[in-house]
Amino acid sequence: MSGPLYLVDAFGYGTSLWIALAVGILFGFVLERAGFGDARNLTNIFYFRDMRVLQVMFSAMVTAMVGLIVLSWIGLFDYSMLLDSSLLQTYLWPQLVGGILFGLGFVIGGYCPGTSAVGIVSGKLDALVYLLGMIAGIWVFAAGFPAWSDFYMSSPLGRVTLWQEFGISRELMAAAIVVMALMAFWLAGLAEEWAPYDK
Amino acid sequence: MRELEYARGFWNPYVAGIALGLVLLLTFYLMGTGLGASGAVARTAAVIAHEVAPTAVEQNPYYKEFYKPGGKHPLVNWMVIEVIGVFIGGLTAVLTARRFRPGVGRGPTASVGLRLGMAFGGGIIGGIGTRFAMGCTSGQALSGGATMVVGSWVFMMTVFATAFAAAYFVRREWS
Repeated sequence: MSGPLYLVDAFGYGTSLWIALAVGILFGFVLERAGFGDARNLTNIFYFRDMRVLQVMFSAMVTAMVGLIVLSWIGLFDYSMLLDSSLLQTYLWPQLVGGILFGLGFVIGGYCPGTSAVGIVSGKLDALVYLLGMIAGIWVFAAGFPAWSDFYMSSPLGRVTLWQEFGISRELMAAAIVVMALMAFWLAGLAEEWAPYDK
Repeated sequence: MRELEYARGFWNPYVAGIALGLVLLLTFYLMGTGLGASGAVARTAAVIAHEVAPTAVEQNPYYKEFYKPGGKHPLVNWMVIEVIGVFIGGLTAVLTARRFRPGVGRGPTASVGLRLGMAFGGGIIGGIGTRFAMGCTSGQALSGGATMVVGSWVFMMTVFATAFAAAYFVRREWS
């Protein structure tokens, strides 16, 4: 049956919540098995000690990206439905500023939201403290929202992909990303040898 | 590469990555959207604030999208349920690997106080970041990245560029 199943009303809202629970369980299980329940495994990438964050994230992204394209080739996934109605929308400047803040929070705090959940169930107190900090951060964001609500919704580009932006085909863009990933994997190996902070 | 005691016993990173990618692919096939996490934290923050000051929260221009008149409770939400699943799945993985070790992950010379202070401060900054970016490593970088969304790639590149640049200044926390 051709996906995305929820968007063609193959099942209802109640079923979608059970699916949420099921994919969440799989997601949490794999994150733990990747070693993402410990802040040291997550931040070592920034000191070139252990590049697993790059290796896991880039290979996951490429797997799903290529998987969706292959599914759409064989008629099992309607990619146009994704582009028309469920793709994330781009707000360029707020997402760039959000990226700067989030990057700082990542290397200072040692986690990101999903991995802090896995850290907590691994027994890590710092993961719990990070999550509490995030909740406080959202209170700060909401309290100051009148001051930055205009910026928050600024530079809207709609549902737009890299290949549309560059005016090339979806497949060519995906191939370029795969090549980029392979180069990053090769560089990751060299970076671990280099480990400049540990010399 | 130095042998890191706490990094032993996990899956090969590429195996874990492909497994994670297949979970993400399944989610897109079923739902038409990817995985997420920070949205659930935002809703939790709104619900806690609502316990203290219900009227202020319902009138707050940011929180009110979670408190629409006649709408469902903010925690009856796809991503909130998914994150409950993350806790359950993570705990299952921890227990089956016998890896539950209470403690604080920090560099060999960093104090517990320094690490916990940084975890809280980093949480505040990161939490604010997720709201401006409308997502985090799961929703934007992973899910938006796999569907080649422009804003998600901008976010992901900025996150890693910033973190690599800032790492030097917090090296005492991790070294």
